[in-house]
Amino acid sequence: MLKEILRMLTEEKYISKSKIAEKLNTTEDVIEHAFSQLSEMGYIKEDSTKDCNYKCKGCSFASLCNKVPLNTIIITEKGEKILNN
Amino acid sequence: MNTIALVGNPNSGKTTLFNALTGSNQRVGNWPGVTVEKKEGNFKFKSNIYTVIDLPGTYSLGSFSEDEIIARNYIINGNPNVVINVVDATNIERNLYLTTQLLEMGAKVVVALNMVDEAEAKNIEIDIQALSDKLGAPVIPTVASKKKGIEDLISKAVEIIDKDMDCKANISYGQSIDQEIENIKKFLKGKELAYPPQWIAVKFLEGDKEVLSMIKEKDEEIYKNLESMLEEDSLAELELEIVDKRYEFINNITSLAVKKPKENIDTITDKIDRIVTHKYLGLPIFALIMFIVFQLTFSIGQDLLGGFVGSGIEILGGKIEALLINANAADWIISFVIDGIFGGVGAVVEFVPLILVLYTLMGFLEDSGYMARAAYIMDNIMRHLGLQGKTFISMIIGFGCNVPGVMATRTLENRKDKMIAILINPFMSCGARIPIYLVFISAFFPDKGGLVLFLLYALGIAVALLVAKIFSKTLFKGEASYFIMELPPYRIPTAINVFRNMWDNVSEFLKRAGTIIFAVVTLLWILAMLPMGVEPYSQSSLLGHIGTAIAPIFKPAGYGTWQASVGLFSGIAAKEAVVAILGMVYAGVEEGTELVKAIQSAFTPLSAVSFMVMTLLYTPCAATLGAIKKETGSYKWMIFSAVYSFLVAWILSVIVYQVGTFIGLS
Repeated sequence: MLKEILRMLTEEKYISKSKIAEKLNTTEDVIEHAFSQLSEMGYIKEDSTKDCNYKCKGCSFASLCNKVPLNTIIITEKGEKILNN
Repeated sequence: MNTIALVGNPNSGKTTLFNALTGSNQRVGNWPGVTVEKKEGNFKFKSNIYTVIDLPGTYSLGSFSEDEIIARNYIINGNPNVVINVVDATNIERNLYLTTQLLEMGAKVVVALNMVDEAEAKNIEIDIQALSDKLGAPVIPTVASKKKGIEDLISKAVEIIDKDMDCKANISYGQSIDQEIENIKKFLKGKELAYPPQWIAVKFLEGDKEVLSMIKEKDEEIYKNLESMLEEDSLAELELEIVDKRYEFINNITSLAVKKPKENIDTITDKIDRIVTHKYLGLPIFALIMFIVFQLTFSIGQDLLGGFVGSGIEILGGKIEALLINANAADWIISFVIDGIFGGVGAVVEFVPLILVLYTLMGFLEDSGYMARAAYIMDNIMRHLGLQGKTFISMIIGFGCNVPGVMATRTLENRKDKMIAILINPFMSCGARIPIYLVFISAFFPDKGGLVLFLLYALGIAVALLVAKIFSKTLFKGEASYFIMELPPYRIPTAINVFRNMWDNVSEFLKRAGTIIFAVVTLLWILAMLPMGVEPYSQSSLLGHIGTAIAPIFKPAGYGTWQASVGLFSGIAAKEAVVAILGMVYAGVEEGTELVKAIQSAFTPLSAVSFMVMTLLYTPCAATLGAIKKETGSYKWMIFSAVYSFLVAWILSVIVYQVGTFIGLS
């Protein structure tokens, strides 16, 4: 499943976890977990504009920041390598 | 005393079950060496006392988080007599991943299938016996919040404590991995490592850092031998393979034991996305939506609500002026309060209704999930230009304020992308610039406000893209990096989110009016009064001298007056200050002069457009320049940003005015 998800990521310009769940005949929660695993194992890198992980919390402009709920995913070198094998 | 460990996913009802089991017999401490809370408690069953340890909530037993390591180390080293695995029945597929790992460890597991009432309500049918058979562990349905099934769960847990049970997941990882596991197990036979050999073998093949370093610490020779059994590259493949096999195992179980109602997959989101993210239609739709937003901003914010705040400020100013006169206040105090505060700061505050409407509408778009689509559409355009699409996320944030916009570029790993994103962000028209446009639109284009505002925002984006393209070909050459975007489903915006978005922006706007703008107005008011004895707000004042010295620069752009020049100059402190200073210098000249009327006599429609283009693009405000210094780590780039954006703005402003004059628009 993880490899299939990785492959789907290379084929799509944008993804929706519900669509992946549908294609893999599982639930969105499982896909969510699979994404965390891929991220923890270093195959993808997830970024969320919702998570203010960049020392913004004390920033006086933080209230104006990160309003667009946008998650982006990058396939890392490790991920590319496994796909090429 | 027998010990029972409670383990489960976050939100599986584990703590509720812990409370149901132990009641008030609880103690809270910390796990050794970490700040993670450790909860334990006791309960009595058939005259025996049992200790329950509530392990941190975790989705798996890897080595990626403190919680995972604490939970698994306790299960292996803490030697609990039995492990109760709390599984959320409504989300069984995800929860069973942890169950599978517990069984891999060889722990004695009782599954508390929690929230079965909610699962029933969702028409999820679970065959408890089949689930138990497939897992090889007892499964007890519970509703911890209603204390249902607790007795059964306790008696099953107690029953298996003394039983020699073999709770082991019968997972096959595929022939070659199974063979590797067997080889490692053989090699580990007789060696004391304090962990079950099967588990060590699986974890080793998964490349589990914690286990690898544990083996290395215990016996370097064993580690070297194990390492030599596998090549580095194949390890990467194996970890994916093993995780996939666990999912396959879970899938086999749930396909037999769980029946769920078929969800309607072709959602409204898919249907809408087919149109709004369409290759050719996406951009025109985005442009149309933004045009409607700006049009509504004017229709509601100005035509409907406009004037209320302005009239309020005027009435309040009049009353305070009368009060000050009656109290025989000094002329300079009256001038400061009426011309400085009411004329200057008041001119900015007057535009609150428009800001309120604009950010309510933007909040509506953001909360609905549409803005993520806008980023996707722009990403496509940016890719065509050879740029990193993610840059547009920082640009969208820049529409609110350029400071967080610049800071948002931290997420870009590639230096090329980051530098370009930082340098183009100030071209995004931030909220502070809106009052400037609104004054000029009210003065010259009251019927075309939405269109003018839309064109200004579009011009900012176009200039940013053009400059980014030039930079990527000159200053920052290199490959652009690409990413995949996750589009969240559409949802009906909630009033609270829309209100919060609006309030964040309006309160920030008011806060700035009361602090930075007030400070700038005070400073420039003093300059307008000096030297002593000079006609206040005149060209002979210090402020007038400064403006006169700068004014020739702006003459080719059509607004070479000292007032316009000091206005632009003050905008470097904060963009709203432009309106505040124009309000102050024009209101101060003639008692009761309305800013809009003063603008109408000082500018022409063409020079007004030229001035708006200048304010859209010229030197970022001090706070943004500070953010640029911080993010680039260099004064050089901060100065570069200040100078190049001024030049871009000046050139475009001059082009607008000169071309307009040439074709007879003046």
